[in-house]
Amino acid sequence: MFQLSRHGLRVVPLLFAIVAVIATPADAQQVAVEEFRLENGMEFLLVPRRDQPNVVSAGWVARVGSVNERPGITGISHFFEHMMFKGTDTIGTRDPAKDARFRAEQKAIRDEINRIVWTKQYDRFFKGEIDDPWNPANDTQQLRVLRARLDDLIRAQQGRGPGGEAAGTIVKDEFDQVYTRGGGSGMNAFTSNDITCYFITVPSNKLELWAWMESDRLNGSVFREFYSERDVVHEERRLRTESTPTGKFEEQFDAMFWASSGYSWPVIGWTSDLNSYTFEQAQEYWNVYYRPGNVFGVLVGDFDPAEAKKLITKYFSRLKPGDRAPPPVVTLEVQQLAEQRMIASGDFPPAVDIRYHTVPAGHADSYALDMLAEVLNERTGRLYAGLVEGRGIAAGASTYSDTRKYAGLFAVSAQARGDATPEDLELAWYEELAKLQAADVPDRELRKVKNRVAAGNFRKLESNMNLFIQLAFSEALLDWREINEGPAKYESVTAADIRRVAKKYFDSTNRSVAIYRRKAN
Amino acid sequence: MNRRMFLVLVMSLTPMAVRAADPAKIPARPEQLEFAPLAFEPPAAADYRHVLTDGTVVFLAPSKELPLVKLSITFKGGGSLDPADAPGLAAFTAQLIREGGTDAMKPTEFDEALDFLATEVGVSAGDTFTTASMNCLKSNFDESLKLFLAMLRSPGFDAGRLDTTKAQRLAQLAERNDDAAAILAREWKRLAFGADHFEAAEPTADQVKALSRDALAAMHQRIVHPGNAIIAVSGDFDEKKMLAALEKALAGWQRGPDAPDPVAPTAKLSPGLYHVPKDIPQGKVVIGKRSIERDDPDAIPLVLLNEILGAGGFTSRLMQKVRSNEGLAYSVRSTIQPRVTYPGDFRAGFESKNATVALATKIVMDEIRRIREELVSEDEIETARRGLVETFPRQFESKPAMLQVFVNDEWTKRPADFWKTFRTKLEAVTAADLQRVAKKHLDPEAMAIIVVGDWDAIAPGDLEKRASMKEFFGGKVIHLPLRDPLTLDPLP
Repeated sequence: MFQLSRHGLRVVPLLFAIVAVIATPADAQQVAVEEFRLENGMEFLLVPRRDQPNVVSAGWVARVGSVNERPGITGISHFFEHMMFKGTDTIGTRDPAKDARFRAEQKAIRDEINRIVWTKQYDRFFKGEIDDPWNPANDTQQLRVLRARLDDLIRAQQGRGPGGEAAGTIVKDEFDQVYTRGGGSGMNAFTSNDITCYFITVPSNKLELWAWMESDRLNGSVFREFYSERDVVHEERRLRTESTPTGKFEEQFDAMFWASSGYSWPVIGWTSDLNSYTFEQAQEYWNVYYRPGNVFGVLVGDFDPAEAKKLITKYFSRLKPGDRAPPPVVTLEVQQLAEQRMIASGDFPPAVDIRYHTVPAGHADSYALDMLAEVLNERTGRLYAGLVEGRGIAAGASTYSDTRKYAGLFAVSAQARGDATPEDLELAWYEELAKLQAADVPDRELRKVKNRVAAGNFRKLESNMNLFIQLAFSEALLDWREINEGPAKYESVTAADIRRVAKKYFDSTNRSVAIYRRKAN
Repeated sequence: MNRRMFLVLVMSLTPMAVRAADPAKIPARPEQLEFAPLAFEPPAAADYRHVLTDGTVVFLAPSKELPLVKLSITFKGGGSLDPADAPGLAAFTAQLIREGGTDAMKPTEFDEALDFLATEVGVSAGDTFTTASMNCLKSNFDESLKLFLAMLRSPGFDAGRLDTTKAQRLAQLAERNDDAAAILAREWKRLAFGADHFEAAEPTADQVKALSRDALAAMHQRIVHPGNAIIAVSGDFDEKKMLAALEKALAGWQRGPDAPDPVAPTAKLSPGLYHVPKDIPQGKVVIGKRSIERDDPDAIPLVLLNEILGAGGFTSRLMQKVRSNEGLAYSVRSTIQPRVTYPGDFRAGFESKNATVALATKIVMDEIRRIREELVSEDEIETARRGLVETFPRQFESKPAMLQVFVNDEWTKRPADFWKTFRTKLEAVTAADLQRVAKKHLDPEAMAIIVVGDWDAIAPGDLEKRASMKEFFGGKVIHLPLRDPLTLDPLP
């Protein structure tokens, strides 16, 4: 009932692709959003709604994700998501000055550890003397001493050292405690390739608490537990990627699919980078991306907009505008010239994933690509009719168009049924694709898909949090108005458009194929 | 004149707004903020409850917010009704009711008709209830309801769809050992409730293959009829018209008896240390025991205790000790899931890299002992209590969620004053109460520890030798076999 998966969603690939469509735009519910901008550049989207009384879903989005990273600091956007819950000079410590000294001492030791690992341990690793430069089991005597000193300092700061609680400076997880007492629920955050989003649901009378807490952490997060929190992220990586049947293979498939773009590395980061972030890199990242001009707030629920604007002005005006704009993401994905293929075996059912490079969010073709996915999906879609029921070779099959900020992909996946092989599924998909390239989708089929997408336009408004997430992605990738303007664009997609994109993006040289086979025991 | 006055008013307000933005005015600590009171009384089911002429109970909550109607029918019984030789029959029946068309429409025809209307329909069976739901545009309600009821009253159980669904189910069975989390969940249920009880029972491949149309039809007869149904409708509709539409839709539908209560498990959990093999770089652990029934007088103090121990997110003790202090796990929590008619379970769970599974287990066991031995501080109780009291309204927030509470309460005969008195009872819980229920219900010696992972890497413990698996139950480990995913027989 109260189970939490804090920092849960790392990637939300489908939400934006699903931003709904409406059959008859005249009927479309227009989401009434009030924009509100502070002098420091921070923008807020306000959506008062009364249907769910007494609560507000509130949060903010930093326009930064793993795509803004570079080799050496992959995963740092996600790591920030963890740091943002660790407090400021007010929240999370009973002695900020002493706490700062602890942090400085920890930094000095960790910098020294990193320096030794990057030189000596990497060197031993390259020569084949050790299997992993970061594994403490391979530590030199000098490293062992340093690591023990760092651990002692971390414990002392937590009040678990020789001086006991009185000598410690941390008030553990105070950020969460304050919200818990205040009736906050569903406090969480996620990092995707493009955005980092922090959110909570608070009682309507606690909007000021939200403004206090969020402006405090945006104003002065101190990256407390900068070193020890890495162990948690390593466990998160083991949990999500390394201990799941397909996690590591999906990561490799991403790395193979994207050649030059920043989408090639995982949101959670490569293990070596996760160990390596320095405090300076974090500070730099913070100064560039967590400034009011690069962050926007979203409120959806039962609140008075005039009152909300007063509170927002009072609290968020204290944020100082940054002194430089975030650097543009300049590296474009290069054109793929030849089919790429990955063959994986492990503890998973026989399956195939096929991907094509397409277009970013907002591209004129993105609407037709979404409609193409809709034609293929669901119980009455062509994949079910063709692969699951017709040929009887798939247990399931689905597709999605994932249009991100700087590039996009179209993915098809299918799981084998009975004795069918992944290659059988792959061939069947090519046959279905050929039909879509050869003839227009019939009117009634297109109408059906448009009806479904139109109803989805209402369904997406059913919960405050769902609307919050839609607005977060729309505004960060394009413009929040897309939530109201998108439906007409989807409605105007024609059968000829669908056929055109089916021909344009689905060449064999533009595809990457992952074949999954069950490993024999 | 009016306009001028308005302007003056605005001008006189502006300096105040500027003063309000003065950072000096921001209180130093969040505790200094003052909040307007927010009164909340839980809604009463009786205000939403109607009874059709045939006796069927209907809960209605209209709202004009969106042009949608959501209708759900909750039938009593699910896996609890499965015969011993056909585990999963109720779930499979529910799926086929949805997949198999109607006696008058082939599945593809039926699905096309619904999809063209953009109406979403689902049927699923859980352990003790089966739910059929429909979500449609209000303009399509009549037509959608007709299709929905045709499906429920006379499902087609189409032979082709039966084959396809069996093939899908068999493909799922083959994945049984792929994910360590699924292995852990399965083995926990077998230990806690017994492999034959419906909570734990799972079909073999042969049992899936043997499922017949007749068996599905019989299960359908047993579950899906108005004598065994409670209806809930939310969305944009007129109450009178809705009641009339439902009267008409149910007319002539034979009412049978309601399904029997679920059978209580007879198995007793044997405390001890258990291991199931899986080659992953992280051990996954559950530490738990059977717990209480829902209406147990200790339920409310136990919920509060569990909040403090491991359910309260970052504020809980397990999260602070295992994750936040030691960095040993990403996710660590405890849950109490009482069952309505028999004792449910308590579980603490986490996952940690192989070398620190023992250390994290030790910390969790120590925290369970500590919460029994030391009184919880008033401050900690107050934080957890405020959290539960302040978030109490949330379960009634959305209309569909509120109606689901009413439906569950009606089916399970929850005491009528439960929600009304919940917060008062919570406020009355003392530190001594918490200690009493901790001693009574959380004895670590009565718990089982199950570890899924690579035992050779896990057993020795951490580099610093802070803990090893030898510390638990005298180091005596019971190695449970992985089971063949299709036959469920132990693998060598």
